[in-house]
Amino acid sequence: MGNWKRLRNHLLRSGRRNSAHDETQINAPQTLIRLSKDVNENLQRLQGIYADCSDIIFHEFLIGDRTKAVLIYVDGLSHAEEMDQHVLAPLQQEFVQEHTLPNIRKKITVSAIKEVQTVADVIEEISSGNPVLIMDKEMQALSIGLSKWEKRAIEEPSAESVLRGPREGFIESLRSNTSLLWRKLRSPDLKIRSMNIGKYSRTRVAIAYIEGIADPDLIKEMTNRLRRIEIDGVLESTYIEELIEDNPFSPFPQLLSTERPDVASAYLLEGNVVVLVDGTPSVLIAPVTFISLLKSPEDYYERYVVGTAIRWLRSIFFAISLLGPSIYVAVVSFHQEMIPSALLLTIARSREQIPFPALIEALLMETMFEALREAGARLPKQIGSAVSIVGALVIGQAAISAGIVSSPMVMVVAITGISSFMAPRFTVGIAIRLLRFPMMLLAGFLGFLGLILRIILILNHLLTLRSLGVPYMSALSPMKGRSMRDVLWRAPRWALNTRPYLSGEWNKYRQASGQQPGPTKRDEEGY
Amino acid sequence: MDTTKRKTVLALFFLSIHTLLLSGCWDRTEVNDLAIITVAGLDLTDDHKLELSVNIYATKSSGGQQMGGMSDSSGGGAGNLVVRSATGLTMADAVSKLQQMLPRKIFWGHDEVFIFGERLARQGIVEVMDYLTRHPTPRERANVFVSKGLAKEVLKLQPPIEQSVSDSLREMAKSHTGLNITLKELAQMMAGKTKAAVIPWIEIKPKQDGQEAFQFIKGTAIFKNGKMIGRMNEQATRGIMWLRNEVKNATVTLAPEETKGYVSFFLLRSHTRLIPHNEGDNWSITAKIETLDDIVENSTDLNLFEPKHTKKLEMALGSDIKKRVNVALAQAQKMNADIFGFADAFYRKYPKEWNRAKDRWDEIFPIVKVELETKAKITRPGLTGKNLFKSKQR
Repeated sequence: MGNWKRLRNHLLRSGRRNSAHDETQINAPQTLIRLSKDVNENLQRLQGIYADCSDIIFHEFLIGDRTKAVLIYVDGLSHAEEMDQHVLAPLQQEFVQEHTLPNIRKKITVSAIKEVQTVADVIEEISSGNPVLIMDKEMQALSIGLSKWEKRAIEEPSAESVLRGPREGFIESLRSNTSLLWRKLRSPDLKIRSMNIGKYSRTRVAIAYIEGIADPDLIKEMTNRLRRIEIDGVLESTYIEELIEDNPFSPFPQLLSTERPDVASAYLLEGNVVVLVDGTPSVLIAPVTFISLLKSPEDYYERYVVGTAIRWLRSIFFAISLLGPSIYVAVVSFHQEMIPSALLLTIARSREQIPFPALIEALLMETMFEALREAGARLPKQIGSAVSIVGALVIGQAAISAGIVSSPMVMVVAITGISSFMAPRFTVGIAIRLLRFPMMLLAGFLGFLGLILRIILILNHLLTLRSLGVPYMSALSPMKGRSMRDVLWRAPRWALNTRPYLSGEWNKYRQASGQQPGPTKRDEEGY
Repeated sequence: MDTTKRKTVLALFFLSIHTLLLSGCWDRTEVNDLAIITVAGLDLTDDHKLELSVNIYATKSSGGQQMGGMSDSSGGGAGNLVVRSATGLTMADAVSKLQQMLPRKIFWGHDEVFIFGERLARQGIVEVMDYLTRHPTPRERANVFVSKGLAKEVLKLQPPIEQSVSDSLREMAKSHTGLNITLKELAQMMAGKTKAAVIPWIEIKPKQDGQEAFQFIKGTAIFKNGKMIGRMNEQATRGIMWLRNEVKNATVTLAPEETKGYVSFFLLRSHTRLIPHNEGDNWSITAKIETLDDIVENSTDLNLFEPKHTKKLEMALGSDIKKRVNVALAQAQKMNADIFGFADAFYRKYPKEWNRAKDRWDEIFPIVKVELETKAKITRPGLTGKNLFKSKQR
């Protein structure tokens, strides 16, 4: 114990030293300094900061042959042609007016232009791709909004495809993503706050919400959690997710991630907060409940009867994907009397030559299935199909005829596999697939007793879980009658009058009630 | 929470989880380690010992390399049934002796049929029933039968249509042409107020004309105080079923008066109610039988669209049912076996009087007056109202 403590203290100390070291770097003296009046001094300072950065261009020129000015930008991040045409050309021919900042600003024919004062801001602008103009005798620099970089076209997200509904998806550029949101929700109440996270990545992270629908406390909480993050780089929204979620040890996702602007907009309208991260197409939605993880956007785009039926089907198969092999193992090794006689005889006959107990058989097949899935997921499409063919042959046909596994087991595993793919969110599907393994072990050791124990444990966990303060199982526990319309079934649009319980409590009513359609009544206006 | 504290809690949690695993899988049995019993037959040997015979489902396939479990399901079935017998002083003794002969663990969970041999039935099945109700594994919903001769002989049969003797017997009982008595119902009857019980009686039709021998239900065995005291034929069994309110399927054929030919009725619904009366030592019962029928065959010249004809037919049907019931009633009273639950009916309505008379019930039952009131109703004359093929109709 003593050794361990000493080691821990040592680690803590070194950790502290590291962080102190970090701080000096973050608050490096030059970044706080305001720009000087002398263009050469500014240039030197910036060149010092950007030493060994071969792709930073310092373009020195004279405004109207008189005043020295420098245009600084990152090669490839800015629109070079536009820069020549709208900045350099007019400025070099500026002989008439006095060379003050306001005059210069007017000459530049670019709309997105702003003044920056400190060195830190200059660096920020350069990093985001905006060329910065510094000139002699001015303490301010001009940031010219001519950033331009290569980005992907807007496509349908392959992980969340729908049959009916919009086919656009978020892309890696934050600006495009916010514009997609704007195109869905055109009210000025759509607020997008942004901040930079990541010491080196300086990733732009935006919090989107609708003022008047989202709970201000929720926005505050989310902002605080984001502010707390001190990390070197954010390459995917998962980095953020893992740093702000309520229970970091849970297998269940406490923030929903989606690549669909329509899903994000729908959640915004329900009073949730959306976190957009630059550089990744998946945005985070919070708070999220267990029920909403089982919803697919198509539930709302299909007719409500179909939506309800599909939702029920999904729930049933969700249970199967969690319990399928465990129930089979428990029944076959402990509770044989529970199977109808004819079925037991069939199972018994097929298990006759199998050398393994049912538990081992199930673990073997499930692991094999997971391996196949993982192998197929990471491979290029052409090879992926080869893997699935080999896998189907090996674990499907050959294993049975070799007498290694029984055919009912293959069936159970296949059904379970398919049902786990029915989860509309991949994160949920994989969480359930992982929970299945301890479930099978317990079922194999203790039968239904173990199965029930495990279910109780999972339920306990789910019931204690929270997502930004909202109970994970809310709508079911705490139960709320009016929320059931969007939980047990998907009520028609004209009956979905309220926002979800707890997360949509701030502004409860979504629409006017009594909108069930029908022919125009005689006393109605416009008859 | 403090990190060390959390660690301690976690460690304790995992330790306590492991205690669950310490018990291990002591009662885990693979399906292929079970001797799945489908039918059990019980006989009395010559030296008054109990002989237990079982039909075991042998899952081992007979022919060579098995290609998948499912593909040989057509080849399996009848040929895979194994019969084993063991004798013992008691049921438990016989079971343990039987276990010695089997490489696999005896599994009662799927035993859906119990057959008592006639000799054992006459000797008494009380001891056997004690085991079957006390031991946790035999199914209470298994069917029970009494076989003519040795139960073992029935077990050896290879039914041509169904997969096994168990299946074919169970399906026969389920079709409700005869009684359908489960272990639980038998136990209830034997432990009930009257100690009288009924069990379907099966006989074997011997092999003839190249057809395999098969078993079928033929009437009922009547039990009193756990001993078989007699049996009734199929007709009387129908009467028992009417009175016990167990008629589900029936086709009644009768010859109406004033005309030639027959009319057949198909039963849709029937309900029997026992209404007891007691005045001093005068015990009587009114049995109200209401039944709803369709006509399925008419070989008379009656026009069934005529209400006056259907009225008459309803009356005739009612009296026919009465006749059937009376046959059973007379035999039961002669055997002095209250298999209709009269005692329970009296007890429910006149608990005090019954309690006073219960020691004399054996004297009272044979002289209980039974009033039969039948109310038959014909709902439809079938798809064709008039007979399409007879020119002259009334």
